[in-house]
Amino acid sequence: MTISAPTLEIAVLVLGLSMLMVEAFLERTDKRTLAFTAILGLAAIFAASFFVIPQPADPVATGFWSFYTADPLAIFFKRFALATTIFVLVMMIDYAPVVRESIPGATPQAGLGEFFTLPIFTCAGLMWMASAIDFVMIFVSLELVSISFYVLASFTRRNPTTLEAGVKYLILSALSTGFLVYGITWIFGVTGETNLARIAQALADPAIESGPALFGMLLVLVALGFKIAAVPFQMWVPDVYQGAPTPVTAFLSVGSKAAGFVVLLRVLQPFFILPQIERLLIAIALLTLIYGNLAALPQNNLKRLLAYSSIAHAGYLLIGVVSLAGEAVSFYLVAYLLMTLLSFAVLIVVARQTGENIEDFNGLAKRSPFLALAMLIAMASLAGVPFTAGFLGKFFIFDAALRHHQTALVIAGVITVACGFYYYLKVVRAMYWEDSPNETAVPLSGLSRAAMAALIAGIIFLGVYPQPVLNALNSPRETIPATESASAR
Amino acid sequence: MITLGHYLIVSGLLFTIGFAGVLLRRNIIIIFMSLELMLNAANLSLVAFSRFRLDAAGVPNYHAQVFVFFIITVAAAEVAVGLAIIVALYRARQTTHVEDVSTLKY
Repeated sequence: MTISAPTLEIAVLVLGLSMLMVEAFLERTDKRTLAFTAILGLAAIFAASFFVIPQPADPVATGFWSFYTADPLAIFFKRFALATTIFVLVMMIDYAPVVRESIPGATPQAGLGEFFTLPIFTCAGLMWMASAIDFVMIFVSLELVSISFYVLASFTRRNPTTLEAGVKYLILSALSTGFLVYGITWIFGVTGETNLARIAQALADPAIESGPALFGMLLVLVALGFKIAAVPFQMWVPDVYQGAPTPVTAFLSVGSKAAGFVVLLRVLQPFFILPQIERLLIAIALLTLIYGNLAALPQNNLKRLLAYSSIAHAGYLLIGVVSLAGEAVSFYLVAYLLMTLLSFAVLIVVARQTGENIEDFNGLAKRSPFLALAMLIAMASLAGVPFTAGFLGKFFIFDAALRHHQTALVIAGVITVACGFYYYLKVVRAMYWEDSPNETAVPLSGLSRAAMAALIAGIIFLGVYPQPVLNALNSPRETIPATESASAR
Repeated sequence: MITLGHYLIVSGLLFTIGFAGVLLRRNIIIIFMSLELMLNAANLSLVAFSRFRLDAAGVPNYHAQVFVFFIITVAAAEVAVGLAIIVALYRARQTTHVEDVSTLKY
């Protein structure tokens, strides 16, 4: 049995729409049933994705297939989006009481239905983005993701901090959209095409004016830099991460970033012939690494700390992008998914009882040994301790960079990793060496416990045996914009 | 005779005015308006490129015009959501000025 790739997105959309329909008629039912349905539905679609046969993009395709590709990279990131959304929904179930408190509504369950449904539409957008090979498709799917994130980020609207974060995200994200669209305009003006492969062909022609195309590409890079939270477009990240509802923060930091990197890998493909772009990316990667890691040092709020850590990780990922290592970037993103979602899952549960600051984690090891262990593994993996997925991710990236003779980036990377150990282990110290004022265990639902156990298992398993992820991307030559552009330089 | 260059200059001006508005104005609604101006700058230059890029048979390049329709639709969706968020902010804070919205700080 085989399934054609676009069926997956259509199934996700149908799931989301039917959930909204059903929700409108169910006033009395516990809205968490919706979330369970969504988790089951997305899991079924995740399973179905293994029956999709990858087919690389055809450069002469017309109509739908000139917008859409089902290559291994695209299918891999569709699974990535589905897995992220499932874990985010599990977190949202834990977070539901907070939402209920902070939405003014006629019924006690007002708003919860939308809270559980919007991530599904975001997921469809992320999946489309993974397959987009045309600027029109990239723009539309990016906006599907952004607009549902606007609503999600300001969802708990009785909380003024959340609202402020939502407005900041709205303005800055819309600004980046403006840059994206104007950049695409200029690229179109030079090449007369919106399809990435055909843009590459047009740019390879020496008679073409590359100046305006480069200008357009710069604007597109600004917009993508915003999505992946690279310096100097990172100013929204700490505020929005801190203010948004925590499951949404987790979704933003994993889903939005991963999609940004897939688009970046695809969009850069036609432009790597231009050496200016490479120099610019190296500079951005260096700045991102240094800023993210240094600014994380003095943080006391764990959500804000994770925001700066997300900026720092964008720096490591950018090293991989500059070294044209699509495979290393994908593996790093999977590791990043596991460890970031795990730390946010623990944060949500603990923050319900105490708070979001690091000192609220004091003595967690005595109160809830399982949660403390989960956080310990997440932090160790984020810092890059051996035998965790985070370590292997960094290892693959640095290895690819060395093969590409990017020594400066590797040196900066290694120094900042050391810096990262300090702030991640600060959390571990609070959990294991500090005394806690209260000794009551943190309540934890069975579903969250299972999700956390799965994430822990994933981190350790991939840290020892990374092969399954690398195999999933089996024909890496097609997904990496490597050979031809490298030789052209 | 109006050439492609004229359209591009106007579109560049629109984009610059929009960007300057986002950076300099202090009212969130006006900032939001400036953002829409930036999108329309892109629309204008896309249509101009489409009109001046004729193929051998003299037919304009319709890719750009289709893209413009997508931009208009998406911008409308963005305005709907954006204004709702700004209204919610106004209800909570009785203000739409950026200086008053700055509790989240380093």
